[in-house]
Amino acid sequence: MIWKIARKEIKETLREGRFRIAGIIVVALLSIAVVISYNYYNYVQKQHAQASSNARNLWTSQDEKNPHSAAHYGTYAFKPKSPLSLIDQGVDKFTGISIFLEAHRRNEAQFMAAADQTGLARFGDLTPDFILLFIIPLLIILMGYNSFGKERENGTLQLLQSQGVSPRKVALGKWLGLYIPISLLTLGLFLSAGVMLALTPDFGLFSWTALLLMALVYLIYYGVFANLTLIVSAWTKSGGLALVLLLSLWIITCLAAPKAASNFADALYPYPTRQEFMASVTQDQQKGLDGHNPWNEEAKRLEKETLNKYGVDSLHQLPFNFDGYRMQKGEEHEAEVYFKHYQLLKAQFQQQSRFYSLSAAASPYLPARFLSMAIARTDYGLHWDFADAAERYRLKMMEALNMDFADNSAYGNWAYKADQALWEGIPDFSYTPPSLGQIALSHLSNFLLLITWLAVSFLGLFWITRRI
Amino acid sequence: MFKYNFKYEWRTLIRDRWVQSLSLLLLALCLFASYNGKQKVNKRNQDIAQAVTEVEEGDVAMLSLIDSIQAGLPVDVPSWRQPVQPTAVGNYHPRVVAFPAAPLASVATGQSDLFTHYVKPTLSGEAMLLNFTELSSPVQLLFGSFDLSFVLIYILPLIVIAFTYNILSVERERGSLRLLATQPMKLVHWVLQKSTLRFALLSLILGAGISLSLMLNGISLTATWNEGLSQLLALSLAYLLFWFALSFLVNLLGRSSAVNAISLLGIWIGLVLLVPAVLNQLSNTIYPVPSRARMINDMRVLKSEADKQQDQILAEYLRSHPELVSVEAGNEATAYGWWQRYFASQDVVKERMQPLLEEYDGQLNRQQQWVSQLRVLSPAVLMQDGLQNISGTASSHYRDYRQQVIAFAEGWREFFLPLIFKDKKVDAEIVAQLPEFQYEPTRSGQLFGANLLYILLYSGLLISLGFGLYNSVRREKLLLS
Repeated sequence: MIWKIARKEIKETLREGRFRIAGIIVVALLSIAVVISYNYYNYVQKQHAQASSNARNLWTSQDEKNPHSAAHYGTYAFKPKSPLSLIDQGVDKFTGISIFLEAHRRNEAQFMAAADQTGLARFGDLTPDFILLFIIPLLIILMGYNSFGKERENGTLQLLQSQGVSPRKVALGKWLGLYIPISLLTLGLFLSAGVMLALTPDFGLFSWTALLLMALVYLIYYGVFANLTLIVSAWTKSGGLALVLLLSLWIITCLAAPKAASNFADALYPYPTRQEFMASVTQDQQKGLDGHNPWNEEAKRLEKETLNKYGVDSLHQLPFNFDGYRMQKGEEHEAEVYFKHYQLLKAQFQQQSRFYSLSAAASPYLPARFLSMAIARTDYGLHWDFADAAERYRLKMMEALNMDFADNSAYGNWAYKADQALWEGIPDFSYTPPSLGQIALSHLSNFLLLITWLAVSFLGLFWITRRI
Repeated sequence: MFKYNFKYEWRTLIRDRWVQSLSLLLLALCLFASYNGKQKVNKRNQDIAQAVTEVEEGDVAMLSLIDSIQAGLPVDVPSWRQPVQPTAVGNYHPRVVAFPAAPLASVATGQSDLFTHYVKPTLSGEAMLLNFTELSSPVQLLFGSFDLSFVLIYILPLIVIAFTYNILSVERERGSLRLLATQPMKLVHWVLQKSTLRFALLSLILGAGISLSLMLNGISLTATWNEGLSQLLALSLAYLLFWFALSFLVNLLGRSSAVNAISLLGIWIGLVLLVPAVLNQLSNTIYPVPSRARMINDMRVLKSEADKQQDQILAEYLRSHPELVSVEAGNEATAYGWWQRYFASQDVVKERMQPLLEEYDGQLNRQQQWVSQLRVLSPAVLMQDGLQNISGTASSHYRDYRQQVIAFAEGWREFFLPLIFKDKKVDAEIVAQLPEFQYEPTRSGQLFGANLLYILLYSGLLISLGFGLYNSVRREKLLLS
């Protein structure tokens, strides 16, 4: 009986003009969005690959120079684009594309794309995630808002009741009739995206598992919307009111709640301004970490200790260049200060994330968004991971340079020059994002929140359809 | 007939629960939204004020240190940081170059969450290479802000649709349309009168909502009238008019209430969600932003060439670590020579990089101006542009601020270079003459006029389409169906 109802619902929807038009529009938009995203992805990927190899060439083809000069010339670390960013671009537009790795400074990623665009860009891009997150729930609402109301309006409710079928079975049938076309559409999109990605060469990290996990997230998200649509339809007994209520729900869920949550999160756990941040770092570097052990004192102590350790009276008698050694220790000292302050920043970010998790009670959009971004490896967590990896590489690079200077020259010999062997000896920066398992584990809470939404909405549907 | 219409329509509206609740909703949303906007503006102004206070305190300390040094007392500051050296003042006591919030900045967050609002350019720093983006959570940037501009652009049209979707259709469904047709007035005029009345009511509520929320946030209405409030009200009413005109047209198509509602909502989705996204995508495809990755690469090549040139002027390790140069008393000649070479070497970088950066900025500028022309294709984008201009948070404002910062940084440098090369020591008199920054707001009056005009044009077009439709085909269709 359930399947009969489902089939009838689907037939009815397919025959209806408004759904056909809406369906065609959505499919057209999705196709355009996928094509545009694909082209954009290729364009950016090519640019970044070229930029990375150029940066590496410039680094290795440096003339002979003092290693510390090379450290100041520095190099760039470019963030690779993840294949699944084809579907969800996440916060890529709002994070910088590259980090400048130089001596004595930990830099932020520079050149975020949004800073180079106008206010028009803040309306959103026509990307698959825009359609998946905003438009398809609208499609679900359009298809299902009158699901129960039309039975009443057309007079077929009594006919239905006279069949002796339990109202819950009717509800399930209608749910299937609503959900199956949507899930087929979604799976179709993900499969075609997967095929496009698999057929394109140079895609390192594409995995079908990640793609299917992302599809699962969206399927659950649509399940929640299907439930909510049918609950409101069953409850209000009139099509018009149901539509208004569902649209208000959609606006609150997808537009208003995220914005309000972001306002509150920013007000409760604000970030320092860039100037404040740099000023605190500078202060700590001068006065020492937490006021202890400022570098000028530590440097003197280092000098004494080293002289003692090697049993000599002057720095000239050490078997290595003390300047290089001292610069390395200074670099480590500065890095510690940066590490402390970036950890404080990360703590604010984590507090904000916790707040967003709390706000998921008001909107299933939030956990779905965060999960989708995380799986596509375009979320803020990945940016932190990349920045930390770049910093680790920078420190290793500085160590290699400083210690080469220390080991291969005498104290006071600033004319020492290293050659290409040293530049090439430092391996190129390569970044591996965390594995899918690690991502899934760290976002378990969002997953549970989404599942809770699904479970609670199912319960609501069952309760409300105990009697039609 | 009009008086009759007015009286009964007014009574119906006032007594209608639906109307009352929608009005309250609009009011509540305006209040919540402008509260959010004000939070951000407060933070911005506080940050600036704090920076200014710090600089003032630093100045006091600097003056007392100068006194001590001039009096010959020993100080615990290394010689290269002592504020009697012009380089020390130029590098370690920079001024706050701030972009204060416009009076109505709480209306639209715009681009203000992307960029920083104060910088402190130093003598040796390169102003062109300053980072203007603010440290902020990209999640917050992605979601955007629940500000007044969000309420006006996204939610106000929905309220208008809820108010007006069934002006004509409900009469037909109740059966009173034929009665109306017997009245000695054209049906289209009757619909126009009803719409006008509802427009007047909603305008009043909207105006009251905006004014009240601004007042509750401590913004004086009389003071800001010429500073953007009149523009804000005019734009909001024009946008309101647009959606009323749309509703007017859809009603005159003569279909049922349900179909009207769905059509209007479909148009809302199209105009407010889809068209801006499509325009954005189109602009990126037709005229993409010049590539930063390529710019970085070009800059690096130039820098490596510049390095070689600089090395001939001054050894690299001294360039990066000026503190290694000791300025001993009586050894002024060495210091003079050193600083001359230092700035000469910095100029090499500037000479090489500046053309590249200027070219990039020029390309970016042209692209952004082309994109801003696309805004006329959607009332939502026109409205967003108008609101951002009133709040002073459009990307053009930040571009202008960047230029002012760079100009000030040049001026700061011009102030100190003669002192350095004449080897003059800084005293209290010179401190009093330090350049101060005054932000000059850009003029946005012209843009406002254009935006307003386009929205009114669209509204006029829709209303005349409505009339045209009625006169051509619909009259009989409406009455006979």
